[in-house]
Amino acid sequence: MGGSVSKIMGKIFGTKEMRILMLGLDAAGKTTILYKLKLSNQDVTTIPTVGFNVESVTYKNVKFNVWDVGGQDKIRPLWRHYYSGTQGLIFVVDSSDTARIEEARSELHKIINDREMKDALLLVFANKQDSPGRLSPEEVTNALQLNKLKDKLWYVAPSVATEGTGIFEGLAWLSNNVKTPPQK
Amino acid sequence: MSLALPYRPSDDTASSLPTPTHLSKPRSLPRLSPSPSIIHNRSPSSSHLSQVSVRRRSLEHITGGRRRRHKSQYPQDSPERHVEYILVASFHIDRGPIMEHQYPAAISGDESMLAELMLPDQTHVRSQDWTIFFLHKDTSGDEDEDDSVKGKKKKKKRAVSGLQEGEGPDNDAAENDDLDESSEESSDDEDDTGEGPPLMYVLNLVNTKQDNTVKRGAVVKAMAICTRHSFLHIYKPLLLLALEDYFKSPYPETLASLYEAVNAMDLSLLPKMSLLERQILQASNAKDMFVEKFEQMIQQRMASEDELTEQDDPSSPKKSTSSRYVLPRDTHEFESRVVYNDIPIPVKVPTVIWPEVVGDFSLIKLIQIFSGPHASSPQPFPVHPHLTTSGAFTHPIIVLVNAMLTQKRVVFLGHNRPSGEVAEAVLAACALASGGILRGFTRHAFPYTDLTKIDDLLKVPGFIAGVTNPTFANHPEWWDLLCDLPTGRMKISSHVEQAPVTEGYLFFQQQNTLNHGHSSNSNTDPTGDNLFMEDVQRSIANRYGENAIRAKWRAYITKFTRVAAAFEETVYGASNLYIIGPNEELSPESPSGFQADPHDPTTIRGHGYVWPDEASKQRELIASVSRIEGWRTTRSYYSFIQDIATMYYPSRPIQKPDLHHHHDRLRKLKLTPQEAKSIYTAISHAVKDYAGICQLLTVTPENQAGLFYLSMGLFHSEQAVREITADLLERIAIHPAGRHFWAQLSRFVKLAYFRIRRERDAAQSPVMSPETALGEPQSLVGVAMGGGSRIS
Repeated sequence: MGGSVSKIMGKIFGTKEMRILMLGLDAAGKTTILYKLKLSNQDVTTIPTVGFNVESVTYKNVKFNVWDVGGQDKIRPLWRHYYSGTQGLIFVVDSSDTARIEEARSELHKIINDREMKDALLLVFANKQDSPGRLSPEEVTNALQLNKLKDKLWYVAPSVATEGTGIFEGLAWLSNNVKTPPQK
Repeated sequence: MSLALPYRPSDDTASSLPTPTHLSKPRSLPRLSPSPSIIHNRSPSSSHLSQVSVRRRSLEHITGGRRRRHKSQYPQDSPERHVEYILVASFHIDRGPIMEHQYPAAISGDESMLAELMLPDQTHVRSQDWTIFFLHKDTSGDEDEDDSVKGKKKKKKRAVSGLQEGEGPDNDAAENDDLDESSEESSDDEDDTGEGPPLMYVLNLVNTKQDNTVKRGAVVKAMAICTRHSFLHIYKPLLLLALEDYFKSPYPETLASLYEAVNAMDLSLLPKMSLLERQILQASNAKDMFVEKFEQMIQQRMASEDELTEQDDPSSPKKSTSSRYVLPRDTHEFESRVVYNDIPIPVKVPTVIWPEVVGDFSLIKLIQIFSGPHASSPQPFPVHPHLTTSGAFTHPIIVLVNAMLTQKRVVFLGHNRPSGEVAEAVLAACALASGGILRGFTRHAFPYTDLTKIDDLLKVPGFIAGVTNPTFANHPEWWDLLCDLPTGRMKISSHVEQAPVTEGYLFFQQQNTLNHGHSSNSNTDPTGDNLFMEDVQRSIANRYGENAIRAKWRAYITKFTRVAAAFEETVYGASNLYIIGPNEELSPESPSGFQADPHDPTTIRGHGYVWPDEASKQRELIASVSRIEGWRTTRSYYSFIQDIATMYYPSRPIQKPDLHHHHDRLRKLKLTPQEAKSIYTAISHAVKDYAGICQLLTVTPENQAGLFYLSMGLFHSEQAVREITADLLERIAIHPAGRHFWAQLSRFVKLAYFRIRRERDAAQSPVMSPETALGEPQSLVGVAMGGGSRIS
């Protein structure tokens, strides 16, 4: 019953709920982004994620349930278990790690080609834009071959997660583009 | 010294005491002991050892003393080690979980899977975490892929198929059996029959240390102990010390020193007990129950050490001081210690090991977690005949037990909780559904698991798993019942398989339509589960201990199996769950209490669970149809049938009459004096020796009024009944376990007993002084000599 009340409230005040899955290679900055979203003004220091983190963040009347899943290659096969019911995928790329950008591309395409992810929005954070030798957002777009995607709503946002730059802009894009109601 | 003492030989019935003449049947068994009071007043200190041995010889038939050497549960010369492997894993920032070291050898199986289990999800957000998981590994240890989940499935298949083939004899028991043991003892080595090799239990400790000097700021390491002992929690303090040491010196030597330390632990003075003895010990609160066995273990040890000293064997360690061995303060646990890095760490090992009881969980905690929210704001469950046996508002704990009995997939979810907490919940749930009686739960339990194992997990029917990852909640197709620990709510999956319509269900549907008028609709609690849960919660609120709650669940599961047996007999005409004793028939033809052989009082008919009347039986059976039928196709059902045949039934020396049934009749029914007489006569005739008394005591636990109902025979209108009851109580009172039960009888009952004894002795031997007949406390030697002099 409590749930239905909040649904009604949600209709009145336009609160939406959105399940977000955040993936990317290890050390791309996923956990930092998650906790910058959660604790906007504080410094965040992170250690490698064993398994996952999940937090709820409310931004612009949208409640984001953000799942951040560890990125070591051995545990990537587990990502698929988080797909069902996901409305938005945040894919985080370390823009300075040019050596592994191809690996990132391959992983990204594996995810969005999954049947359960076909309706999910795709937000790419071209992270670590403060590092020397970084790729620009356009270069990341090309390296990830996003222009090849069909029937997919996607957006690349430059970010510096440690400073919190760019991440709320990315979230704003997600909240503006979400339309389907959350699946149960 | 003992040789000089006159004692009564056990077979010398005629000369020692006045022979009762009033009994129709001549006694073939010894008349024993003048007075129980001298025994139950005896303190269990070791200063009595010599006296004990004298008494033993004379009363050995009942006290079960000198018959044989006591065997140790963990003999010193056993090739089995307490701990078989020590493992260390760490989270590599590039590669994820990896195994760092294994000692003394690499454990076979999937190394990376083990490393994943050792580093539970979200271990990075807490500095310390415990987990428990199980490996299915052969004792031989030379098979390649037999541990791990893969091995688990294989073993499971074997175990299930083994039920028909009677596969899986216990090799270890055969090896360990001393040749001088009587054959009776070997039937006590019943553990693990048919279920394949014992599980390997793994206790694991993870530490996360923030460290700015390393890349990405933290080191995560885990150390695990692999043991076949279910009391793996005793190793917790050792793992804490050893993992700390390993952070300082990350070498195999650190593992080796822990391995040596834990395996040097001496448990050899812990006596082995029979099934009946274990049941009695567990149901009892007496701290010195069976202390005699501990005494004898020490005596045996001292004797063998004396021999060694005589032989003057230089290689043997000479510790002749008897003060080195102390009796346990509480015989329910055995105290020992592990010396690690010169630090002696005390450990307590449970004396009684039950199947399905692993680690140190708390049933009270589990019950409270799910009772609180249910009490404050009950939420209806979707109705499922196997699960919601008392309707949509069935107590969640009952739903959980029903789910496990009917082999549903159960997941305990503890998001943001330490993985040790979900593991504890899983272990508690296993113990809850097993009651220490049913099996097959821990073998399919995954106290902690994560997404990496999900594909293998889903291949296991009816698993019980603990997870911390909330994504499990989003996958109702993975489970039938989700138990959320943080909220204390349970959820029945929308994907749960519907219960099939069975023969039993149809049978009772017909019955129900036949006597429609007075059907169960009026009764709000036909299963008695609501009442039971209220009782359990009241006991918890009144601060009854964990043991009391476990005893209640044991009784609940026992009742469930007995109701199921009655159900099968009603519907199918016979039950797999009950082995009919000699001279016994299925109930419809012969009412309880009918004596088949007029010359043998023990042939009194009747068996199984007792209801006050036929209507209440029908009501309870109808209410229980679905879950019993749901249970009848599960692993725990089949292994229970097997256990009855190989373990429970053979362990019972008294096959007729059904002691439990007839004692229940005394408890629950209003009997005529004639009916009561036949019960008292039958029980007194059947229960004569040590094991027989043990069996009787298992149906008269302290928490169910003990010997009270039997002692009521002392007030029967017929003198003969009063006297045979007194005889029976006398035998019980000198029994090592029975004396505790005797001591708990009220003064009123004891006075009645002494009056009966006095009357009889006065009638038969007028020479005897009233003091002796009264049984004033006096030394055994005096009594024995007094008895002798009386005759001469």
